[in-house]
Amino acid sequence: MTISFKQIEEKLKTEAKRLLESGQASVVLAYGKGYDEKHPMPYVARNPSDVANIVFNEYCNYNMARYLVRYPAGTKIAVAVKAADSRAVIQLIQEEKVKREDLVLLGIPVYGMKNPKTQEIIDGKTTGGLYNPVLYDILLGDEVHGQAIQSPYDVLAAYELMDKEARFAFWKKEFDKCIRCYACRKACPMCYCDPCFIDQNKPKWGDKSPQSHGNLMYHLTRFHHLAGRCIDCGECSRACPVDIPLYLFHKKVAKECEEMFGQAAGMSIEDKPALVNFRVDDSDKILE
Amino acid sequence: MLKKTTIDKLPELAAALMEKGTLVAPVKEDAGFNFREITDAKQVDLIFHNTIISPKSAFFPQVEDFVRYQTGKSILEAAPVELNLKPTFLFGVRPCDVKSFQIMDIHFSGTGVVDPYWQKRREATTIFGFAFDMNEAADAAEFYHTLGIGAADPEGSDIFMVRKDDILMLKVITPKGEKLMTGLSFLTDASADEIKYFDDYITKGYDYKTCYTCVDTEAIAREFEAIFDNADFWTKISDACLSCGVCTFVCPTCYCFDICDETLFSQGTRRRVWDACMFTDFTLEASGHNPRTKVYQRLRQKVCHKYSYHIRKYGVISCVGCGRCTRYCPVNIDIFSIVEEAVKAKWYKRL
Repeated sequence: MTISFKQIEEKLKTEAKRLLESGQASVVLAYGKGYDEKHPMPYVARNPSDVANIVFNEYCNYNMARYLVRYPAGTKIAVAVKAADSRAVIQLIQEEKVKREDLVLLGIPVYGMKNPKTQEIIDGKTTGGLYNPVLYDILLGDEVHGQAIQSPYDVLAAYELMDKEARFAFWKKEFDKCIRCYACRKACPMCYCDPCFIDQNKPKWGDKSPQSHGNLMYHLTRFHHLAGRCIDCGECSRACPVDIPLYLFHKKVAKECEEMFGQAAGMSIEDKPALVNFRVDDSDKILE
Repeated sequence: MLKKTTIDKLPELAAALMEKGTLVAPVKEDAGFNFREITDAKQVDLIFHNTIISPKSAFFPQVEDFVRYQTGKSILEAAPVELNLKPTFLFGVRPCDVKSFQIMDIHFSGTGVVDPYWQKRREATTIFGFAFDMNEAADAAEFYHTLGIGAADPEGSDIFMVRKDDILMLKVITPKGEKLMTGLSFLTDASADEIKYFDDYITKGYDYKTCYTCVDTEAIAREFEAIFDNADFWTKISDACLSCGVCTFVCPTCYCFDICDETLFSQGTRRRVWDACMFTDFTLEASGHNPRTKVYQRLRQKVCHKYSYHIRKYGVISCVGCGRCTRYCPVNIDIFSIVEEAVKAKWYKRL
């Protein structure tokens, strides 16, 4: 089975139009035309006439759940979600940042999405290795079955072979490239803190200048703030102008969290975030 | 005076420049090219389109140390950081980026208040401009031609370079360049054919089209003033904006900075660090008030500063059309299409 991007685009347009016309949603978060076909943009439709601008192709990687917290509480929002994006929505519901009843989830079952910079297919590498949205109200296409599922943690193989010193050297080298533009945290659907710890100056947690120790402080703290919360959409790594493979660290932490607490982030609205929930049978591995 | 060398002799040229001072040139890195201080003459690579970070960092580095101090000690013991610059050679700068230095000069020295760090670096540096390769199509994000900058525009360079297959031609533009060039004895004289090719290439550069036709600065400034209060327009424009700092950090004409005291253990440094108007805390006042709390207000500031206030204040657009902001934007916001949107169909036409 192959994915018809055109068909998904048509269904997205039809549903967006219907929701806006009926007033079930006042905004639709989807994808729109960019300066060329390889560079579509996140797009917000507010009127039925805006719907004509919606597009969907293999470069529409954006996690539209990132924009949910931008709208005032109570806004009726329809949001286009691919598999990882739907997990972000679930995680935001768990963390009480959005309410399930305010959302209409337009699920997109899809694989074969591409990174416009490198042209590589991103399934499994920087997304969760799922093809069907975990939660949706309307599915824009048929569920994907029969497509080989890659474990989201497969790409960790080479990384896990490194010992502690090698890993530290690896990250030090990567973080030295960082220019502190903060595209990673801004592209992240789970980074909604205002202010972010790194912007605080009383107490001051890290330096503003892009030098080794400040960069290390910023990234390591951000990684840990996302422990058990990262839904593996890979937006941070794609947003990075200097190509730091942030997803590797996030995946490693996610894998350990899953092993310790038996739950992956954003898989069910009934779950509580692993690190804010206490269960008597919780793993003590973290204390070792 | 037109001289030449071959591309395979580039390390020789690099070594000669390194002997005379500091060489800053494009180097290939994981994510793309960047200007770096050269430590090995073989690092210099001219097979590139453009760098990720603009060459403004050669004059206005992301981190500039001013004063070093120790906590718990008297302020009288704090010592200013002296700039001891060797002659510097900024090698392989694209014509649009060379233009950006002239725009930045307005802010760092042109208004009468001179920034000594910028000024000293500018004076110590000889700029080797480098024409775009017109055999390849322009990047979809670029629009320098729209702003009147040729793909092989020598203005602002001290020495201007054009590559023809494996030959690199170098032409002296300023007296500063001439002084340097006479010291580079291994360069050979170009033939009459090559001189013609070089001159034709520069002329041809002005016809090398990027994605829009001409601009009318007056019309742009006026339209942005008229649209300033239109929150609906700006909200729509900024719907996708993440409010990160990529566009401003890669931009050759963004010059905002923050002055920070950064202390590690007891060793402190007062330094200047790039800041970005797209950051949430950019205009945050000590009182807690922030006049720009919304994403649209921040994006409006960025666009209007470049395309409206700057025209009114200094007569020129603060943009050179290098396309970096568009190319590296995580959500592909195209700055010139915002101008296009604001100035609806008066003078522009997308090619």
